[in-house]
Amino acid sequence: MLVMRRRAGESLLLGSEIEIEILEVGPTRVKLGITAPAQLAIARKEVLLTRAENLTASQNQNPEVIAWLSRKLAPRSIEAVNSLTPQSNPPEIS
Amino acid sequence: MPTLTTRYFDQLEYSDNATFQFAAGIPGFEEHTNFLFIQQPHTNPLVFMQSLHDPAICFIGLPAKVVDPNYHLELSPEESNALGLPFVDGPQTQSKLLSLVLLTFAENTEPVANLMSPIVLNPQTRRGIQAIQLGSSYSLRHPLALESQAVACS
Repeated sequence: MLVMRRRAGESLLLGSEIEIEILEVGPTRVKLGITAPAQLAIARKEVLLTRAENLTASQNQNPEVIAWLSRKLAPRSIEAVNSLTPQSNPPEIS
Repeated sequence: MPTLTTRYFDQLEYSDNATFQFAAGIPGFEEHTNFLFIQQPHTNPLVFMQSLHDPAICFIGLPAKVVDPNYHLELSPEESNALGLPFVDGPQTQSKLLSLVLLTFAENTEPVANLMSPIVLNPQTRRGIQAIQLGSSYSLRHPLALESQAVACS
């Protein structure tokens, strides 16, 4: 990994078309300005990780696994009801 | 009342005001803008997040507090706005919201919960978002800490 020290107002180039400028340096985060060709997709890494995890999470589960998990988690349901405010309950289906 | 074909509960009747709108969908499912959240006594505390656009798409989640009683949610002004909240970063605002964490089932391991990207619902405005916790140390794959014998059953 290439490591580089930069101050606010300074920038760096990736190739000839991508420029990343350090706009602001705060105590816990930095603000970046990115100039790049419009067709280049730019996303926070967390969004891509979330996307991949969502795709995995959407896969169908065996009803037996769901029944098993419900049994394992059942002792926690009382805790859940107590800690959720009334308006927090999603609509019950009848 | 409209009827919905669901992934895990066959046909369910629901009222239109029971659904939640996700204006931007969620990452990977941007076209799924309406979800129904299903709780059933025999599967408590699981919450099923059923897409209204595709019966095959149903996420399985848990209230975040079930996984972590001290779970703390942070919302950006944009996220608060998407939920129809005034941006007030206080416990009063948060108490009106429900955070769910989605479960992922990997083979031969216990299910894990995505604490980093909770589904946040505002029951008053019927709006929802997936609020990625950028500044937190919450894990994308948090173990549910079921008993160790559980692994053998799966």
